[in-house]
Amino acid sequence: MAYEPQFYPGNTIIAENRRKHMSGNLEKLREISDEDLTLVLGHRAPGSDYPSTHPPLAEMGEPECSIRELVEPTEGAKAGDRVRYVQFADSMYNAPATPYFRAYYAAIKFRGVDPGTLSGRQVVEARERDMEKLAKESLETEISCPALSGLRGATVHGHSLRLQEDGVMFDMLDRRRLENGTIIMDKDQVGRPLDKKVDLGKPMSEEEAAKRTTIYRVDNVAFRDDDEAVEWVHRVWETRTEYGFQPKVYND
Amino acid sequence: MVSASNTKNPIQIEIFPKRLLGPERAQKLLLELNQIEGILRAVIQGPRLPLKVPYGPATGENVLHPDRKIVQINDTTFELAILVGRIRMEIRDFEVKERVREVCENLLPFGFEFREGTFIAKRSTVSDYAKRGPDADPNLRGLFDPKASLDEQICFLNRSDNDIENK
Repeated sequence: MAYEPQFYPGNTIIAENRRKHMSGNLEKLREISDEDLTLVLGHRAPGSDYPSTHPPLAEMGEPECSIRELVEPTEGAKAGDRVRYVQFADSMYNAPATPYFRAYYAAIKFRGVDPGTLSGRQVVEARERDMEKLAKESLETEISCPALSGLRGATVHGHSLRLQEDGVMFDMLDRRRLENGTIIMDKDQVGRPLDKKVDLGKPMSEEEAAKRTTIYRVDNVAFRDDDEAVEWVHRVWETRTEYGFQPKVYND
Repeated sequence: MVSASNTKNPIQIEIFPKRLLGPERAQKLLLELNQIEGILRAVIQGPRLPLKVPYGPATGENVLHPDRKIVQINDTTFELAILVGRIRMEIRDFEVKERVREVCENLLPFGFEFREGTFIAKRSTVSDYAKRGPDADPNLRGLFDPKASLDEQICFLNRSDNDIENK
């Protein structure tokens, strides 16, 4: 029987959401066009070619190498794209993702990505077209809520602040805001103004956010209510402390 | 009611709304609080709304944040350069505290925390003395960032003409 990864222990909705994020088996909730995505990322003009740092691999005449033969290059690497980044900040008030789960999602589902995980933000560097693929999926699926998650290349302040009156995560640079029931973005991820307003979709209601979040909170689902997750965290700590993560010693 | 605030000395309280207040609600709240007799000093605090992008590739671009607005409290106008996250005040007595709580209950439907404690410095430190000199106004102590200019950060409300002449 083929092995199926289990990803994360737990019986609660939070554990279930963590498994979804880690497996990349996510529900698509909204649509972002390629042009809009390019605009908000701000790395190149929409419709322009991908700038490259080296010729396509096929034209380069690579040296004979068993690893190169074994590993299929990503589309971006094949074309010689530049390495570019996308960065998200997620509110601690029941945002769907947290930096750690964005990192798991990127590292498990995508190849050739370099996730950088910090307390309140998560950056992924990759070849430009590979990065865009990840960014598009992140914005369109349940891993993001336009109000509680923010595409923020610089000035990420907001993840640990209380929400604004309208339920949107604070953004000092006013890149995005609630207008007529949807979140619009009229600046790119670092705060440069755009010529058009990009519709990021409807924000999740408080109830929906509480159901889709990967954050254990005492005012939603507390970590201690998830017996299976607690048991496994205890077990990992115990085996690490007593056996230094050596399964052989533990099993003996 | 027996409480630590049953004292003849001024007491300090903090209002901590569960949401960051937009300029309209903040102005409404400040106006209502201003009607209450017995508030001696107050500080409003919250995340800053800068005029220009402070760092990153877009440094120097105008932000034009819609929540950065001029608010008017009686005859005094000032630019609210923050989203109001908490209000700390020094008040005369326990009765004033209850009236402040009533105003908050009416104007903050999403809830708030309301506590008594020490939030504004009561005594000068050596640093205060070094920065402001021996003639510093004790009423301004703990109300502003010592590195910023006074005009940007302090507003005098409900002052009599005599007070202003004496300054």
